Amino acid sequence: MSKSNPDTERYRAQVAALQSALDGGDGAAFHRAFESLCEQMDCGLLPELKRLTATAQSALARFSAEARLDTLAGHEVPDARKRLTHVVKLTDEAAHKTMDLVDSCGPLVDEAARGSAQLIKNWNTMTDRDAAVSVFLERTRTDAEKLRGNLTELLMAQGYQDITGQIIRSVISLVDELEEVLGKLVKIAEGKDVTSIVRVVSTQGAPERGFGPQVAGLESADAVSGQDDIDALLSAMAAGK
Amino acid sequence: MSSPVKFLVVDDFSTMRRIVKNLLQELGYNDITEADDGNTALPLLQAGSFDVLITDWNMPGMPGIDLLKAVRADAKLAKLPVLMLTAEAKREQIVEAVQAGASGYVIKPFTAVTLKEKLDKMLAARAAA
Repeated sequence: MSKSNPDTERYRAQVAALQSALDGGDGAAFHRAFESLCEQMDCGLLPELKRLTATAQSALARFSAEARLDTLAGHEVPDARKRLTHVVKLTDEAAHKTMDLVDSCGPLVDEAARGSAQLIKNWNTMTDRDAAVSVFLERTRTDAEKLRGNLTELLMAQGYQDITGQIIRSVISLVDELEEVLGKLVKIAEGKDVTSIVRVVSTQGAPERGFGPQVAGLESADAVSGQDDIDALLSAMAAGK
Repeated sequence: MSSPVKFLVVDDFSTMRRIVKNLLQELGYNDITEADDGNTALPLLQAGSFDVLITDWNMPGMPGIDLLKAVRADAKLAKLPVLMLTAEAKREQIVEAVQAGASGYVIKPFTAVTLKEKLDKMLAARAAA
């Protein structure tokens, strides 16, 4: 009245061989039968184990990618929008500042040209040349000083390129990361990549690399408000020494 | 008459190096060398006899804070006046830079007047030392 169980029935032959080798005292045959039995068991278990591992890895990779995407979409992309808006503001201000300064230089140069042209034209008929030349030179000297000041300011206005460049670089590294995370999610969805875990890199970078310029609307609570603030901090530190 | 003051200006943005160089020339300093990060600056400093280092913080390769620390760790350069010229604005960073031995800290965007003022102060302290 033996019951037949298909799950255990397939081991019958190996168990019989095992029993016969044991009874006959044949060590070599016993080991062969034992290995054959193990192999048959592995055949059933291994694919299942592989499938479970792959599912777990895939879930882990997907979770990691989705968690990072959540932070990127929730915080860093809106922040990037503020950064780029700030860049537009800075470039707009710098362009206007530059054009304002060019506008203010125009009349200074025109006046020098007009004054010298008048002197040349009236030179022979002038009654008081010394006074006329003196007025002209004095005017030209002060205008030249103004011109030099404007040129320095024009130079300084170009500093926006450094500030905006740093901000744009931080947005580029964010876009790079977004591309990587999205690419990985697509691969996981297609079942092509079930093993690799998404690298979680913050676009903030390491502190010794710096944090970049402050951006309107994203100011750090720990940031100084300007040079005066820094000078005060430095004086306080010097006094505390 | 003392010999001309030798400057090393370190910034990864060529526009900023040019601005600083122009300002220094306007102030009458004509001996100016440029480098684009700490890794290129340090060998220049070790090989040359610079009087003042002006450096940015946020640069690829070696950042300015690491350059400052390397300068202070080098016996030959330990007393070199170093001006940090950077957009980095956190208090902890400014404190870190001063503790690492920065002689001055100017925040970007800056004015020509501020740069002149800090340089004059640094050079006066150097002359007094």
